[in-house]
Amino acid sequence: MKILVAEDDLICSRILQKNIENWGYKAVLARSGQAAWEALQDEELRLSILDWIMPGMDGVEVCRKIRRRKKYKYTYIILLSAKDRKQDIIAGLSSGADDYMTKPVNFLELRARLQTGKRVIDLEDKLLVIQNQLKDIASRDSLTKIWNRAEISKFLSEELERGQREKKPTGVILLDVDYFKKINDFYGHAIGDQALLQVVCRLKRKIRKSDKIGRYGGDEIIIILPNCGLTEIKRVGERLRLSVGKRSIRTELDSVPVTVSAGCATSELPGTASADKLIKIADSVLLKAKGLGRNCVVVAGQELEPLGERKNV
Amino acid sequence: MSNSTNLDKLRPIDFCDVLDRIGGDTSFLKELLIIYFQEYAEKKRLLQEAIAREDFTQVCELGHSLKGASANLSLSRLQRIALCLETAGRERQIQLAQEAARTLETEIQTLKAFLEGNPPGKFV
Repeated sequence: MKILVAEDDLICSRILQKNIENWGYKAVLARSGQAAWEALQDEELRLSILDWIMPGMDGVEVCRKIRRRKKYKYTYIILLSAKDRKQDIIAGLSSGADDYMTKPVNFLELRARLQTGKRVIDLEDKLLVIQNQLKDIASRDSLTKIWNRAEISKFLSEELERGQREKKPTGVILLDVDYFKKINDFYGHAIGDQALLQVVCRLKRKIRKSDKIGRYGGDEIIIILPNCGLTEIKRVGERLRLSVGKRSIRTELDSVPVTVSAGCATSELPGTASADKLIKIADSVLLKAKGLGRNCVVVAGQELEPLGERKNV
Repeated sequence: MSNSTNLDKLRPIDFCDVLDRIGGDTSFLKELLIIYFQEYAEKKRLLQEAIAREDFTQVCELGHSLKGASANLSLSRLQRIALCLETAGRERQIQLAQEAARTLETEIQTLKAFLEGNPPGKFV
């Protein structure tokens, strides 16, 4: 583990360096507040020993700057000073330091305090891993593990903004499993779940890495396609429809014939500035696809030319 | 034990204390003392200039810096003199600063003479 030693006094710096390296850490030296701040741009530097009095920016100011930054992981700070009055210690800790030691340093004590700092950082790292895992769980659909409605809506908003900036269209395809209720009623919900999982699996194989797939509702799947205009979306929608319906889905009970209907819309259409509006248009053409007999694709603005077989299951 | 402690007080450097701080490494102590004298030579020059133009902020900073370096090497007499220098700077007392600078130089020469006859490691 790397430790920043910010100390303008060369002798103190060398003694700190020697001890720290003897304890198995790697010392990174800085002899001014500015040099310390520059060294701290390295995200691997999580433990810092800062001298209070340094030329230019002092240790307390470095502390404050560290605590103001947002995107970095936690940096544990030990503030060193010859100032040993209660009000100095309080002022030092109030600037954001985790610990305070007076000079000359007792090295047995410093070693123990560094171990405390390391424990805090290890704990923070573990919490971050768990936080990321929880965030992922909260963003995904529990059955299919694809993005959930809230997350996919967020992606769509971001993608629409990016598309506007880059002047590129964004496509949305809403797919609905035809007669899914009947599948559930006839085979049971466990088989219905298996069928839905297989549908998702087939769809995932046919989309690009940059596309995002999510579960929008019970049996409604949504796909967001960056840089995809009306001409392309028609082709993609048809490819997805065929990928699901071309052969029956094998479940543990039976082979289940499954098809999907798809409604497609892109940000090229008028009135599609927001994610909600674009989804609403895709949903309205999905309804039209259902009305046309299912197992087909309808593209908004081209409702008169539906694609697909329009056969019932 | 008490004899050795009393002896340490008479010496300009407390070898036991400083070696305890740096893990008993006498060659490292020699290296640190070389740095100390080099740094002192530069600080002495700056101090003389600061006193000449009555730059009390600089006097105070140099005193503070010498105080820290002396404390780290267990040079307690030098540490006390450096503290006088820092105080003289803070209180803007030019005579006190001049006197502290002179005493500092004398004590440095005393330390050098002592180390010539008693290099680090001799008492360990």
